[in-house]
Amino acid sequence: MEVREKVKPKYSFFKNFILFQPPWRDIIQFLLLAGFFGWLIYLSSTRLEYKWQWYRIPKYVFQIKDGHLVAGRLIQGLLFTFKISGVSLIFTFIFGLGTALLRLSGSFTGRLLSRLYLELIRNTPLLVQIYLIYFVLGPIIGLDRYMSAVLALSLFEGAYSSEIFRAGIVSIHKGQWEAAYSLGLSGFDMYRDIILPQATRRILPPLTSQVITLIKDSALVSLVALSDLTLEAKILASDTFLTFEIWFTAAAIYLVVTVTLSTIVSLMEKRFQIRT
Amino acid sequence: MSEKKLGEHIITVDNVSKTFTGGIQAVKNFSTKIRRSEVLVIMGPSGSGKSTLLRCLNGLEEPDSGTIIIDGIPLDDDKRHRLEIRKEVGMVFQQFNLFPHLTALENVNLAQIRVRKKSKKEATEMSMDMLTKVGIAEKAHCYPAQLSGGQQQRVAIARALAMMPKVMLFDEPTSALDPEMINEVLDVMKNLAREGMTMVVVTHEMGFAREVSDWVIFMDDGQIVETGTVEHFFKNPREERTKLFLSQIL
Repeated sequence: MEVREKVKPKYSFFKNFILFQPPWRDIIQFLLLAGFFGWLIYLSSTRLEYKWQWYRIPKYVFQIKDGHLVAGRLIQGLLFTFKISGVSLIFTFIFGLGTALLRLSGSFTGRLLSRLYLELIRNTPLLVQIYLIYFVLGPIIGLDRYMSAVLALSLFEGAYSSEIFRAGIVSIHKGQWEAAYSLGLSGFDMYRDIILPQATRRILPPLTSQVITLIKDSALVSLVALSDLTLEAKILASDTFLTFEIWFTAAAIYLVVTVTLSTIVSLMEKRFQIRT
Repeated sequence: MSEKKLGEHIITVDNVSKTFTGGIQAVKNFSTKIRRSEVLVIMGPSGSGKSTLLRCLNGLEEPDSGTIIIDGIPLDDDKRHRLEIRKEVGMVFQQFNLFPHLTALENVNLAQIRVRKKSKKEATEMSMDMLTKVGIAEKAHCYPAQLSGGQQQRVAIARALAMMPKVMLFDEPTSALDPEMINEVLDVMKNLAREGMTMVVVTHEMGFAREVSDWVIFMDDGQIVETGTVEHFFKNPREERTKLFLSQIL
């Protein structure tokens, strides 16, 4: 067999220079990037001749009243965002799992119905759906503002998550189904005991993305005058003219929530890993 | 083996055919009868339809025509019949197919609790008996990934046995195993055969066939080429195809 000669790496001043090696390389890259963004913000604020008044912001996050820590308006908005996202999340999973199971079922009508739902919802904007449900469907079937928003959000996210559930279910090896079948397990037991526990662990990463999307999409309910974080921010921004500070703060709050969430889930993932 | 009593026919396969989409005919007009307590070994080159035939016996594959009757129950469109047969026929797969998220004990427990409606305590008792029987009780709380291939296959056998099946099907149970683990699985199967379990085994393990099988079917191209005792196959196989095949595996 032909043995190829090892190529000796050429000595390079740049590659051996201390600042071009980790960890200095990474630190420098980070500082350059941070500096660039800082410069951009500085530039935009000076061009706008914006007068930063960050000191006015904290009271919209937390206030101290009579020695007690009280949630400011932004945090109150956030709590509502939690509430509507949480309730919608439950329905999202119900719609998503139900649709996935229907699409994989033997029933023609079931498959047609789930396909119709998926394509209809996935191919129209969420905003349009919120308006349709709030202004058209809501009055017809007697849904209030809150329920309309929950329905719209969970229908929308449910459609996307159904594809995640379906992908997880079909990714389970054929042998698992066959073993469960041979043991005489019913379809329900098969899903409950064999398929879903394994599928759930696999779809945890994309499902987390979907939950994060749900939290962010819940900002759209501010358009039907539900006072979530976004609506509170909008009102505060127009009341106080602290446009930049308020919106930066609102964005930061969303960021803290979603990053915390994904951190928790990635810890969970490590814990529940299937030993294979 | 000689003192074993064979009973009445427990499996009747009559004129079964199976064609896969794409036009490959895996099983062609196959008929056979198997008695209670009999050990039948099916051999044949890969693609000869032996696994497909075996999978038809518990409904994992749907025959296009022909009838299969197991212990008096026809394997037809009636869901109750199918469920009954699934409960009464145990299956052991080439790839073990243990449930990776459950321990060995939980693997064996599950169907007893869900299908036989036993309490967890009763099920565990039975499971531990079965795991002891296959010589792996000390690994009851291990997950499949912590077990060797041979150990996994023995858990899979215990899982099937815990349902108290009337028939056990084995689909190349040792083909996915490292050579040094084949015997621990075959030993379990041999004991089972000696206890009088009705077994249909797709395998090329001639040693196993020689020790415990009552008769052997040699299949090729979806059909029976030759049947007989193991001795017959060793001493004077009739058909050229059989001779060729045996010369390759021995």
